[in-house]
Amino acid sequence: MTTYAHREVDVAATVASIDVVQTEFDAWWTELGEENVQTRFAFEIAVVEIATNIVEHTHRAEGSAGRRFRLELTADATSVTAVFTDNGQPADIDLSTVTMADTDEESGRGLALAIAALDSLDYSRVDGRNTWTLVCGR
Amino acid sequence: MTSIDVRAADGGVVLAQSGRLTVVTAPQLRATVADRIASGDRLIVIDLSATEFVDSSGLGALVSCLKSARQAGGDLRIVAPSEQVSMVLRMTNLDRILTPRVSVDDALRG
Repeated sequence: MTTYAHREVDVAATVASIDVVQTEFDAWWTELGEENVQTRFAFEIAVVEIATNIVEHTHRAEGSAGRRFRLELTADATSVTAVFTDNGQPADIDLSTVTMADTDEESGRGLALAIAALDSLDYSRVDGRNTWTLVCGR
Repeated sequence: MTSIDVRAADGGVVLAQSGRLTVVTAPQLRATVADRIASGDRLIVIDLSATEFVDSSGLGALVSCLKSARQAGGDLRIVAPSEQVSMVLRMTNLDRILTPRVSVDDALRG
């Protein structure tokens, strides 16, 4: 049975952690050996946008002190998956209403980019934890 | 490693952003551009040839800097974005207002 690269990282919900997430992503992708650079670009932008969204939501809702989030990166023969979990406040978001910001706006592109880049993006709140599941075909 | 290299050029200032332009580094770009506009530069050229990755926060910084430059009577031009940066510019339609130039010289000439 084929095994695929698998990584988990648990970090503070702070802006500096976005670099940690990207460095971990880079190592995972290299180990995975997926050569399609378009797939990498699409999946990486989605992972970074959701991580940033979690950090910014946590900061707005309750301050970052003591808050953390976890990212698990997995793959199989046909897809790559990222699962973020955090125990912060529920994310008040309806993904079906997300649209891309106009070109003169300075914000409001993150979730729209993630949605456009992925095959599926799901958010759920289970047992007091937020879970974001990102899937992209390969 | 992310850094911004700043050099004065004939007709403007050239900022070379290397590494990642994300929520981590976007504030540094905004501050650097604001400083240059405050000190009199009007044509801001952002060399993206060594920018490996940009996210929505980085794009937001570029839009903000473009607005600041234009409000001061100047302009902001981007140069030689990588494949990843070009993809994200297209996905957000920002390639319409941030049209890439092929070289720094080209951007400085107008």
